[in-house]
Amino acid sequence: MNLITPRLARHALPRPPQALLSCLTLGGVFVLFAWLVPPFLQWDNLRNIVDGSALLLILALGMTLIVAIGGIDLSVCIAFDMGAAFAIVALKDYQLAWYLAVLAGIAGGVLVGLLNALLVVRLSISPFLATLGTFFIGSSVQRIFTHGGGPISFREAPLEFQNLAVGVLGGVPVKVWLAGAVLLVYFVLLERSILGQRIHAIGMQKSAAQHAGMRVGAIVFAAFVFASATCALGGTIASANMQMFTPMAGHAYLLNAIAAVFIGASLRANGRPHVLGTLLGTLFLGMVANGFNLMGLEPNEKAAAAGLVLLLALSLSAWQQRRR
Amino acid sequence: MPTLNALQRHALPSLPLVIFSALLLYLALQAPVLLEPYTLNLILRQSLPTVLVCLGLATVVMVCGDDAVAGGIDLSIPASAVLAAGIVASQVAHHGTPIAWAVAMAFAAALLVGGVVATLVVLVGMTPLLASLASSVAALGITKWVVDNRRINLSEPLIVYLRDAELGGVSVSVLWVLPAVLLFYFLLHRTRWGMNLQAVGGNRDAAELSGIAARRFIAQAFVLAAATGAGAALLLLARGSGFTPGSEENLLLEMVLATYLGAAFSPRRVVTLWGAVLGAVLVSALSVGFKSIGVDIFWTGCIKGALILLVVASSALARKSAA
Repeated sequence: MNLITPRLARHALPRPPQALLSCLTLGGVFVLFAWLVPPFLQWDNLRNIVDGSALLLILALGMTLIVAIGGIDLSVCIAFDMGAAFAIVALKDYQLAWYLAVLAGIAGGVLVGLLNALLVVRLSISPFLATLGTFFIGSSVQRIFTHGGGPISFREAPLEFQNLAVGVLGGVPVKVWLAGAVLLVYFVLLERSILGQRIHAIGMQKSAAQHAGMRVGAIVFAAFVFASATCALGGTIASANMQMFTPMAGHAYLLNAIAAVFIGASLRANGRPHVLGTLLGTLFLGMVANGFNLMGLEPNEKAAAAGLVLLLALSLSAWQQRRR
Repeated sequence: MPTLNALQRHALPSLPLVIFSALLLYLALQAPVLLEPYTLNLILRQSLPTVLVCLGLATVVMVCGDDAVAGGIDLSIPASAVLAAGIVASQVAHHGTPIAWAVAMAFAAALLVGGVVATLVVLVGMTPLLASLASSVAALGITKWVVDNRRINLSEPLIVYLRDAELGGVSVSVLWVLPAVLLFYFLLHRTRWGMNLQAVGGNRDAAELSGIAARRFIAQAFVLAAATGAGAALLLLARGSGFTPGSEENLLLEMVLATYLGAAFSPRRVVTLWGAVLGAVLVSALSVGFKSIGVDIFWTGCIKGALILLVVASSALARKSAA
């Protein structure tokens, strides 16, 4: 299964030079915003962009792993929400210490990942349909759990927990440190380790990987669990930010995470998803959101504009990646 | 996984049907009101938006192939439907546009979305999954902007007519949709266009070698699917007496469930038009049934999600054992 190079693309438009179009687009949008809204270029604003992209980056990295292995994970937002829910409940109802609450959050993500892994590896369902099912079930479960979708807040969270999201360490927000740590882990895992090479191999041609003797099932299983755990960490940080769990809050991140991965993938010659590309894709989307904010767009105008930008960005990436 | 014998291979894809039938039987026993003509009419009427979008999805799956990842899927049909519904509601309620013009604008918008997906798939070379996902994000964003993300009540005569009017105990909207279903069946199974479309889906290489312009059929299928979304928009407005934000998620859920469940009805276990329509009606029956016995609407959503997984798991397992 290969999401990136479909068969249907024969006799289509000729492919532009590698990565050129994406780089031009990224640079062009940056220049456009800088020209339209001068405050965009200020140092404080650029720091805002980085700060605001931290959570999306964590989610997008989880998605990168799944896309690298040849699938897609529509339930990253569910893992995100479970991470938030489990952490808040651990703090509120069980009065656990802050680090145990974080572990509880990650455990929530692991559960989601286990479900996905079972569906994909043991029951041989395609990742798209399996994670779509998880997405629907997860959304319904959240509504059931919160009796209709209301948030669960906990204002007396310990300071350490709150600092996960709002704290600052050496001038850099803790959120950004954490995102950076996850980035480093994923970079080493996907781009510098043998396991990473195996993951890419499975994503490129699963049957060849199987014939080469790789334990494809085990690796895919672990990938889904690890990706969901990562997304749950993002959710835990988000809940620390607002000191509450908002059901379906993760939905907003899903399409952006997918977009970040695919925009990033188009930056590489071979069109494979990779960690640094995802980082650039995430920053691009953060830049776009920030730019629209500075332009004073209403939330609904922003939704429309952001949707169109996403569509355009994905189209350009796909055009660039297409192979015969 | 141990190899399944032939009996299991044939029985496995029928498992969702068995479970579905068991569920419906249980519901009918618990709430006999389900079998009354009034409720049956309600079930049919509620299923109509899903029936229409399933026609669109079934067409796309037929032309692009069965595999949900590399093959045909169109997640943007509910988004087209919701965009069209939003345009009609906003134009009629906020701008006083005559309903005919509003409907025409809505159709144009939906066809535009379909055209965008078609272009992305055929010219740009995106997978249908990504193309439709990206287009649906854009369409939903534009919808939010058009309706200001708010509920819009409608008491326009056409909408009330679709919602309330009956002929011989059957809603007129059902009497409008039935010819649409028959038309689709005729188009896809009784015309040369339809035969060529199915040939493209069956084996694209063979079709192209026989001289069929596969790209043209694929593009047309996506635009046609978006048109079914536009039709579904009017029925969505009738069902909800106006526009409700967030209705696309349930429509997407039911569309996917109904279409893939419908595949279990066909002997070859492929997505078919009648299977999808029957699937849509059954899913509606399930929703109405659960509501009759007092099951929380969110639990119903959960069960539907689980049913999707059950349906695709059993067909995936059956396919694996056949390989």
